[in-house]
Amino acid sequence: MAKRTKPRGDNGSERWRPRGGYLRGWLADHVRVASDTTLFISQRMLSSLLVWLMVGVALTLPGLLWIAHSNLQTFSQQWQGNAGLTVYMKLNASDAAVADMGERLRQRANITRVEATTPEQALQQMLAQSGDSEFLRQAVVAVETNPLPASFAVVLDTGTSFLALEALRRQLLPESGVDDVVIETTWLERLRDLSDFASRVGAGLSIMLLLAAVMVAFASVRIAIESRLGELRVLALIGATPAQMRRPFLYFGSAYGIGGGFVAIVLIAVFLNQIEAPLLSLAVSYQVGVQIAGFTSPFLLVMLLLGWLLGVLGALLALSQRTPSA
Amino acid sequence: MSFLQLQHVSRRFDNGSQGLANVSVSIEQGSMVFLTGHSGAGKSTLLKMLIGAEQPTSGRVLVDGSDVSRLGSKQMPWFRRQVGVVLQDHNLLEDRSVFDNVALPLRITHLRAKDIERRVRGALSTVDLSNKGHLFPRHLSTGEQQRVGIARAVVNRPRIILADEPTGNLDPYLSRQVIALFHQFRDLGSTVLVASHDIDLIKDQGCRILHLSQGELVQDTANLEQAAD
Ligand SMILES: Nc1ncnc2c1ncn2[C@@H]1O[C@H](COP(=O)(O)OP(=O)(O)OP(=O)(O)O)[C@@H](O)[C@H]1O
Ligand SMILES: [Mg+2]
Repeated sequence: MAKRTKPRGDNGSERWRPRGGYLRGWLADHVRVASDTTLFISQRMLSSLLVWLMVGVALTLPGLLWIAHSNLQTFSQQWQGNAGLTVYMKLNASDAAVADMGERLRQRANITRVEATTPEQALQQMLAQSGDSEFLRQAVVAVETNPLPASFAVVLDTGTSFLALEALRRQLLPESGVDDVVIETTWLERLRDLSDFASRVGAGLSIMLLLAAVMVAFASVRIAIESRLGELRVLALIGATPAQMRRPFLYFGSAYGIGGGFVAIVLIAVFLNQIEAPLLSLAVSYQVGVQIAGFTSPFLLVMLLLGWLLGVLGALLALSQRTPSA
Repeated sequence: MSFLQLQHVSRRFDNGSQGLANVSVSIEQGSMVFLTGHSGAGKSTLLKMLIGAEQPTSGRVLVDGSDVSRLGSKQMPWFRRQVGVVLQDHNLLEDRSVFDNVALPLRITHLRAKDIERRVRGALSTVDLSNKGHLFPRHLSTGEQQRVGIARAVVNRPRIILADEPTGNLDPYLSRQVIALFHQFRDLGSTVLVASHDIDLIKDQGCRILHLSQGELVQDTANLEQAAD
């Protein structure tokens, strides 16, 4: 069966070298390891699924937070909600001046709705909001006059920009009887503050979860190395290179990571699908149009890449702890 | 020029036991040599040194002029690919079929699948296991497992064959067949070193016999012949 093995007469250790075909050999070895990895993972489907699930869950929250963050950002940048402002009349403004103001506001373009509040209504509202505080009631009785002005809540058409809002405020301020004009943006500002805070907390949480994903990959690859020590010993004896011995474990790390990224994508898709309806009705109650953006193909690619990166990182950690050798 | 060479090689283990004690021996290229001695004499230790799996505490181990313990991690794999080793505990991979176990040394050298198939079939037939390629090691008898290990050692057509008790679990008929296989490789140019304590088997092979005892080389038939001349 054997053909002649030619003795070679050269001296020194130079002869223990590969004989050409580096690239072909390198490619062929990747093919070998890829099929080996498929076999290894399919033979341990249950534990592989578990690893994918763990990595996937760890990747899901960072992915979701990223989507939430980018949505909030675009939302507050191109703010398209129904803007509003409140016009406060002077306390000494006559009833006629107040009625005149209401009329002029209603005749303006871009304005959806104007709600007038009389000083009496304002007082009732304030008392109601303060829980009918006895102290406040007595204070009002003591002052004898109503300290609250008449006001108009003005809701503008959808799509009115901040600039238009600000321009309107400047136009209204000098009008007779007008004391102050306040742009009603508090809920938006609150949302901004909240999203700032949330992205900081989210970033911290995300880093911890990504670390957890690396640790899961690390532990799984470590177990794989332990379970194959016998094989590694044989491979070393028959002349596998260190790179050849490490390669399967880098593939395991990659497979665990990419699989985890895939699981995360599925979980995020399910989650977004679940919150879409309630989010839309919430948006309607705020009179804003909302559409969840960000679940795009670049995002999917980034999730897979991130998973791959973390998986390889875990594998490298495991390999640095326990380098396969003779 | 001697091909395998031990120069005053000693190996003392951490627990104090002496694996080898000042062994010097030269083996010619293309020769077949037996290594014998009682259990614990140092046969396995000597073979492991020739493959770089064991380091001498003192002395040098040379293969074709290169000091094996000084081969770097870059050269060691390429060196080992030219050596076929049969281990005493045959070290088969339990989760691979017989075929895949034998194919292992070829897979890491990236032969084409067709060539791998052909060579593995050939190696299996030389150890009488042609019809067992699809089985797993646990389905084989100890002697059959040993023969799989032998097939794995020779499938790569190595320049050097180091076999540690390759006939330990074989009946006399199969033992002679395995030795005949090694002769065949020797005839093709390989250098073969076989450790065995089966004196009856090796004494009439017409080969040089090295006798180890407690780590020392106590008898070398090459020297006897010289003395007789
Ligand atoms: N890793 C080790 N640690 C400590 N002592 C060892 C080790 N390997 C071998 N020895 C000792 O070295 C001596 C030689 O062992 P070796 O395995 O070479 O013997 P052997 O001739 O192959 O024996 P056998 O015929 O039983 O296989 C023995 O005394 C053994 O106890
Ligand atoms: Mg032994």
